[in-house]
Amino acid sequence: MADSVVYQKKIKRKKSLYSRIKESRKCQNILTVVLPILFGLLIFVLWQTKVLHAMMHTDTFTLPVPTRIAKLFGENMSDVLANMRSTVLVAFIGLIAGSIIGYLVAVIASIFPNMGKGGLNIIGAFASIPVIALAPVMNNWTRNISPDANTRSTVAKILVVMLIAAADMCLNAYRGLTELKPYSEDLMKTYAASGFTIFVKLRLPNSVPYIFTALKVSVPASIMTAIVSEYFAEYIIGVGREIRENIVLSQYSIAWVYISAACIIGIVSYIILMIIQSVALKRYH
Amino acid sequence: MKRRKVRRLMSILAITAMVATSAVGCGSNSSSSSQNSSGNTSASADSSSKVSRTGTATMTNEEIIKKAASEGKIGNWGLGNEYEVLALLGKYNLPTKYLSEDFTMDGFDNDSITLASAMTYNELGLVQNSYDGGYGYGNDIGIIDMNDEGVAMMEDNIFCTKDFAKKNPETVKAFLYASIKGWKDAIADPKAAAQTVYEAGSSVSQDHQNYMASEVAKLVTTDTKGNKVTDIGNMDDDAMQQTLDIAKKYVKLDDSSAQEKLQNTTLDDIRDKQYLEAAKNSDGKFSPEQKKVSIQLKWLPQAQFMGYYVAQAKGYYKDVGLTVKIVSGGGDISETTAVNNGQVDFGVTWETNLASADAGGMNLLEVAQIYQRSGLVLVYKPENFQK
Repeated sequence: MADSVVYQKKIKRKKSLYSRIKESRKCQNILTVVLPILFGLLIFVLWQTKVLHAMMHTDTFTLPVPTRIAKLFGENMSDVLANMRSTVLVAFIGLIAGSIIGYLVAVIASIFPNMGKGGLNIIGAFASIPVIALAPVMNNWTRNISPDANTRSTVAKILVVMLIAAADMCLNAYRGLTELKPYSEDLMKTYAASGFTIFVKLRLPNSVPYIFTALKVSVPASIMTAIVSEYFAEYIIGVGREIRENIVLSQYSIAWVYISAACIIGIVSYIILMIIQSVALKRYH
Repeated sequence: MKRRKVRRLMSILAITAMVATSAVGCGSNSSSSSQNSSGNTSASADSSSKVSRTGTATMTNEEIIKKAASEGKIGNWGLGNEYEVLALLGKYNLPTKYLSEDFTMDGFDNDSITLASAMTYNELGLVQNSYDGGYGYGNDIGIIDMNDEGVAMMEDNIFCTKDFAKKNPETVKAFLYASIKGWKDAIADPKAAAQTVYEAGSSVSQDHQNYMASEVAKLVTTDTKGNKVTDIGNMDDDAMQQTLDIAKKYVKLDDSSAQEKLQNTTLDDIRDKQYLEAAKNSDGKFSPEQKKVSIQLKWLPQAQFMGYYVAQAKGYYKDVGLTVKIVSGGGDISETTAVNNGQVDFGVTWETNLASADAGGMNLLEVAQIYQRSGLVLVYKPENFQK
């Protein structure tokens, strides 16, 4: 008897504060936002107070404090913006054009599934060519495109980004177009649906989430590719080129300004992608 | 059986179709490019026919530079190598814009760069000579020399950090003594020096190494005015001041405080003659504080740095009590950063790079100036610059 009372008490005991927080949905939602921000703030404080420098055995010359980077960013705003515009333009056009081409190739591959898989292996191989190898090749290719060095360099850079983005999209979209829910294709066939109908009603909608999977990889990748291909471009412009130029000239503070510019481009474009995804997939579901 | 064959045939067909379509993206671009390029060539054919009608005399240097600048076809590698070209453009009141040259002379070869930068000991040899990797133009090219144009800047030197020099004066003196001995031998017999470099692990062919050694010997023993220099490593005040003046005018540092510091830099901030003097007056006996040292080259192993390789091979470093490691550079290795971080003790760089690095916050000191004149020239094909 006494035992059971104790047992009941145990059950009735209030949950601890910790487990209540842990199980509450609302708290979880808040924490997912607050914790990363706190972590960021911690890094910022360590960086600004030079504790980070001590931890990494470096000095404020190679790694200037954030306020100084921000100050220099402000002072050189117009230059930085001009370089950012060039990089964003290359990354964006390359991404869009490459993704469309990649998707079309995936569609063709899904129409001929037997050989499509083999063809995709070739494209997978294309995707693994390093940008450093591709960029000079493209420069040579586009040599006669325009008498204006800026135009032909931009085209060369876009081509490199396009190839990377296309390969990425192609591989993912193919999976979306072919990996259908079990029996769904058979079901369509029992309805005597034509190949075209199956494609439009089943395959295309099924591939939408996969498009975003591809974009999540190819958005950062295309920015990175744009930055690296600037190293080799004939016309001197872009965030990547400025980073390299300033590091070689040991102007680290300015190099960091452009590194933060590259970070801003990457983060902002990822946020935009996430917003588009949440809108598009909400409708889709 | 038959069906299988048909299927196989179909699959082969479809794969070819896929490969073709995957190339569609590039195809559309290349077709537009060929259209553009055909328009382009017809335009250039027009202009060249005009040229041949008016005459055949080659333009003067000034006219050539102005023409190339107006077409936007002057090339340089950038990354700190561009200031002499900028100074030259500034001299003729031209906009200081240039195209980025890669590490080949293909741009010069196919006329996308009509006035291309070249180092006398490297790219110029590749353009003129016809050995492996050369373009074989021989003497059919024109050359604009930075020394003659009065915009020469001092190139390869020896430097270390100010702290290192202060803490290890004997090491610095010993290193300079042995290095200069190595350079003297290299100049006396460039061919043997080229062989030494080649054996030490060269980045270029032996023919090119020979060419480079003989050209580098000229840069080490001739000053900007064409006079003979016997005092190897001498830090000539006039030449160094000219370099610094050009640097102050054309180096644009985006960091305003660094830019201000650069403007206030004097020769005494970036070079110290005492170590070289002491090394020259010594009897070759040193007691170095630090016995193991390393030197960071500005580029890949080649005869550009033959003095150090010769000193190493002939044991001159050992004789002064040093063990020296020669660290190859190249591409994105920044020699100023490597020395400043303490990864290496000595380095080879250009005076401008050193001055701007010091302005950016480093503490570097030039202790010897090996090259006495500028090795940078602009090359052009005379047929592109007819009156």
